[in-house]
Amino acid sequence: MILNLDKNKKTVSDNYDAVIIGGGPAGLTAAIYLGRARIKTLVIEEMIPGGQAATTVRLENYPGFPEGIGGAELGSLMEKQAKNFGADIIYDNVIDVDFKNEEKIIKLNKREIRSKIVIIASGAKPRKMHVPGAEEFEGKGISYCATCDGPLFRDKNIAIIGGGNSAIEEAIFLLRFVKSIIIVQDLPKLTAEKILEERLIKHKNVKLTFNNKILSINGEKEIKSISVEKTNSKKKMDIPAEGIFIYIGYIPNTDYLKGHIELDKFNYVKTNENLETNIKGVFAAGDVCKKTLRQVATAVGDGAIAAFMATKYLENEGG
Amino acid sequence: MGILSQEDSDYLKKELEKITNNVIIEFFSTDNKDKCEQCDNIRAIMKEIMDLTDKVSLKEFNIDKDKEKAEKYNIKMAPVLIFNNKDNGNIKFYGVPSGYEFSSLIEDIMDIGTGNIEFDEGVEEKIKAIDEDVNIMVFVTPTCPYCPAAVRTAHKFAMINPKIKADMIESYEFPEIADKYKVQGVPRVIINEKDGFEGALEQEKFLEKIIENL
Repeated sequence: MILNLDKNKKTVSDNYDAVIIGGGPAGLTAAIYLGRARIKTLVIEEMIPGGQAATTVRLENYPGFPEGIGGAELGSLMEKQAKNFGADIIYDNVIDVDFKNEEKIIKLNKREIRSKIVIIASGAKPRKMHVPGAEEFEGKGISYCATCDGPLFRDKNIAIIGGGNSAIEEAIFLLRFVKSIIIVQDLPKLTAEKILEERLIKHKNVKLTFNNKILSINGEKEIKSISVEKTNSKKKMDIPAEGIFIYIGYIPNTDYLKGHIELDKFNYVKTNENLETNIKGVFAAGDVCKKTLRQVATAVGDGAIAAFMATKYLENEGG
Repeated sequence: MGILSQEDSDYLKKELEKITNNVIIEFFSTDNKDKCEQCDNIRAIMKEIMDLTDKVSLKEFNIDKDKEKAEKYNIKMAPVLIFNNKDNGNIKFYGVPSGYEFSSLIEDIMDIGTGNIEFDEGVEEKIKAIDEDVNIMVFVTPTCPYCPAAVRTAHKFAMINPKIKADMIESYEFPEIADKYKVQGVPRVIINEKDGFEGALEQEKFLEKIIENL
């Protein structure tokens, strides 16, 4: 039995040298580096330490943990490490920011925080599916979080839409509960790591189907099937399913930044190689950035670089 | 050895020292062994807490034997923990408060034990003003990081208005009732047996949903 104890009840000040938006691997790594540079640092996290990684059952490709490590456990270890070096952490939502002046303002639900520098590490969230039925059945048979909702699909025949690492990792987790799984992929192959694919197809109650364009999700009170069109033959068919988990990529958490900072056409934060944004004193790190690979291992590297550049900025600008 | 790490246990001890009012918790178990699979875990969690403070007390009852009492507090099933400082029993945890829900249990204890319950601006008055019976059910799983926010909001509302009854229900332990309310995503909130919503809403929006369903 696991007991997760939330140990962040302390009040924080309204003025910091550095504020990090987001307490995932990128943000917490930045907090470790800034803390060690003796810079007064605050991390603002919306939900739980570890961010998206915390909803991953097991991370197997993050170095240092040969047996793998639970995402939530890694998150809370990183949080502890950041706090050991003096960073403050609060749980709140950033509603708006003001980067117009040298002093940056971060607006939360009930307060404003002022800081000399800001590191944006607010990450990304699962991309929602937009086909008929997808919205109606969300939370009623369609889920975007296997860790949260997996136990509710006991003995059901489910479909997973997607074929990347998240889709296959979560499929393997869901096999603990469900009766059968069909992986519905749009491409002619899976894009997940080979080791995950091997592990998945060992299970007899797993099937895969490729080249599917999703047309709709069907059912009356409950989900019955997914209508697809074969991308080659254009043939239409129905795939029966009693529940659906969707892993079709991510979108960045940048709504609160619109109009304040330069974003790319997919709303990821644009940075240079030093992770500086177009605003002086504002840096970005992790999944929220325009980048090629979004993993815990790359987020951690970003956090270190952003913190290093921020430290240099504070020294040169006279802080 | 206890379930909590030394670090968690040290932290908790310090927190629990802030309690000024005794917190009365009652536990209803059941003779049905299948249903009571988690009963020992619940007892173990409560023991961990009570080893750290003498301000929290636990009394055990049996839903099959103490029928009158169970009825008084509108207890539908067991195992359940109820907060019963006001002899009202309107704050309940059906099933084991483990995983992320352990924090909900601790925060409830701290709120009731210190009397400091935090609300967003303007919400407290509106909740206190509700003069109708409100039954809130919050379905969770222990592995859902988004769930405690919904449980805590419902429980906080119940702390300041005795007409509001707020239940956390662990969906995996009570599959029949989870199925009945079509729980396929958590947190799922049902108000007065009627409408439901998924996800953790801010206090203000949660309150709006309550009013819509009165």
